[in-house]
Amino acid sequence: MERTRFQSFALYAGLAVVCGILLFPIYWLFVTALSTLAEIRQLPPSFWPAEPQWSTFTKVASERPILLWLWNSTLAAIGSVGLSMVVSVFAGYSLSRFSLRGGRSLGLFILTAKMLPATLLVIPLFGIFRSIGLLGSLWSLVLAHATLIIPFTTWMLKGYFDTIPRELEQAAMVDGCSPLGAMFRVVLPVATPGLAATALYAFVLSWADYAYARTFLTNAQGSWTANLGITTMKGEYVTDWNEISAAAVFIALPILLIYLFLERYLVGGLTAGAEK
Amino acid sequence: MAGISIQNVYKNYGALNVLKEFSLEIADGEFVVLVGPSGCGKSTMLKILAGLEPASGGKILIGDTDVTDLAPGDRDIAMVFQNYALYPHLTVGQNIGFGLKMRGTPKAEIDKRVREVAKILAVDHLLDRRPKALSGGQRQRVALGRAIVREPRAFLMDEPLSNLDAKLRVHTRAEISALHKRIGVTTVYVTHDQIEAMTMADRVVIMRDGVIQQIADPDTLFARPANLFVAGFIGSPGMNFLRARVEGGRLTLFGQTFDAPAGRGDGEVIVGIRPEHLALGQGNVTFTVKPTLVESLGSEKYVYFEPGEHAHSAASRDEERGKGLIARIAHAGPIREGEELLLSFDPSEIHLFDAKTERAMN
Ligand SMILES: Nc1ncnc2c1ncn2[C@@H]1O[C@H](COP(=O)(O)OP(=O)(O)O)[C@@H](O)[C@H]1O
Ligand SMILES: [Mg+2]
Repeated sequence: MERTRFQSFALYAGLAVVCGILLFPIYWLFVTALSTLAEIRQLPPSFWPAEPQWSTFTKVASERPILLWLWNSTLAAIGSVGLSMVVSVFAGYSLSRFSLRGGRSLGLFILTAKMLPATLLVIPLFGIFRSIGLLGSLWSLVLAHATLIIPFTTWMLKGYFDTIPRELEQAAMVDGCSPLGAMFRVVLPVATPGLAATALYAFVLSWADYAYARTFLTNAQGSWTANLGITTMKGEYVTDWNEISAAAVFIALPILLIYLFLERYLVGGLTAGAEK
Repeated sequence: MAGISIQNVYKNYGALNVLKEFSLEIADGEFVVLVGPSGCGKSTMLKILAGLEPASGGKILIGDTDVTDLAPGDRDIAMVFQNYALYPHLTVGQNIGFGLKMRGTPKAEIDKRVREVAKILAVDHLLDRRPKALSGGQRQRVALGRAIVREPRAFLMDEPLSNLDAKLRVHTRAEISALHKRIGVTTVYVTHDQIEAMTMADRVVIMRDGVIQQIADPDTLFARPANLFVAGFIGSPGMNFLRARVEGGRLTLFGQTFDAPAGRGDGEVIVGIRPEHLALGQGNVTFTVKPTLVESLGSEKYVYFEPGEHAHSAASRDEERGKGLIARIAHAGPIREGEELLLSFDPSEIHLFDAKTERAMN
């Protein structure tokens, strides 16, 4: 079907509006980072600083341990994503493939776990980590984030495995694979787009956490993650919003890079051609 | 290569009894087709043969090996799936060679055999493509190639043609038959299509609700169906069924009384007459009908008419036919709907079924 000129126009106009709404906060973050404090406070606000203050970025990078914070966030995210993916690949695959007794209710139980607000678990987790001596260590974040992430990723992966025809594994087993071999040689390679999307989602969940880091790591400056570190930049008497914005840009950057890098996997479509 | 022996295999899914006491001896090199309506347990039997589903009971031998508890990969069989199940992340060449690679065949040997097989199936120019860049017919060939490259003891095929369009299906059907003649590997082939079964099989196994109805070669199946279900399933258009009574060894049909072919005493029977056994004009037993519909296929005509006082019994495969009967007339002149027409049949060609057990009586 040919699109008429008007339909094309309406489509692009609609997309422009949506993108505008989604991108405006990011744009505003940049503008704030590049503005002087006076410009930030002026009314009406200016939409582009008279003289972009690029020096704010270098100032923040040199005065604050941004790299350390990013490094800690990265470690926590890699740890929790790794742990979560290992657990939920097996869990999601089992939920998708095996009809265990009570498997359905088990699956639903995992689902309800993800309806609980994260803050609900902060206090019990705090007690547990204190008694096993993990407070102040990044391992506490790895474990705590995994409890958040695993229900999501298990269900995402179950949904993805459901779209992969069972005959693929059956063919692999007839070809001589063990059940586990069929999973590693056929199902997981075919599921790459799903695995990438899920891992990325998990990474963002971990990266975005503040409550857990604040609770478990406050007294261990060397373990501060980016989100925790940035909140310490808000002073009691003065708050340099331009510096905080510059730091926030540093923190957002890795996520943007990962999205760009993984985009081709996220688009997916690798399963096309398995059937018929 | 080897024969297959299936001994009293049954399968339950919970309370659902999907296969009941399935026994079948398949000779080395034989082409056996399992046929039956959807849901009758054909795929389940094939998966049990492949080792992809455990049987609830019974025993399976391939050659002299008891494979009942062996993993699929240890049974030395190959399987072609209805949706082909090609590995989407591998090239055509890797797809065909996968089974050899899993068995530790040296790379040079794999390459050589993949090439040979690809040549036989005319996919040798596609070896570097991925499945998604192939047409339906090409995917089908690759799936076949993946099966034959391993030179297994038996092929299992689950409705391998049902995703092809009609023309390609007939073509591929002939190709699979030719391939079987050439390499002679024992084959168990599953389909719901009686024409596929009749054209390809050395022997056909007709199934219904997990129970074998009859095992026979295609000609026997057509000429001597064991029961009403088989009679209705085989042949196109399907057999006509009529309720009637045998009294004193004589049968009355369409107002004509004649000696029942092989009556076993008197009582209710179901009479089966194949549409092609009804002829135009005078014959052994002649009667008059008024066609309600005449379909011309060029070389032959399907003449539909009402069964009159003979209530139609169940079990006709062509549900849409309702109560009408069909005569299949070759090389007929013009036949008009609503005008009286003389039809006849030879009593030796009719089939009698017990009205209660539905078993063949003659
Ligand atoms: N995994 C399963 N769990 C429960 N019932 C099943 C399962 N697989 C098949 N069945 C049932 O077994 C019957 C036979 O199925 P199948 O062998 O696939 O039939 P066919 O291949 O002859 O169409 C059907 O009624 C189907 O619903
Ligand atoms: Mg089936």
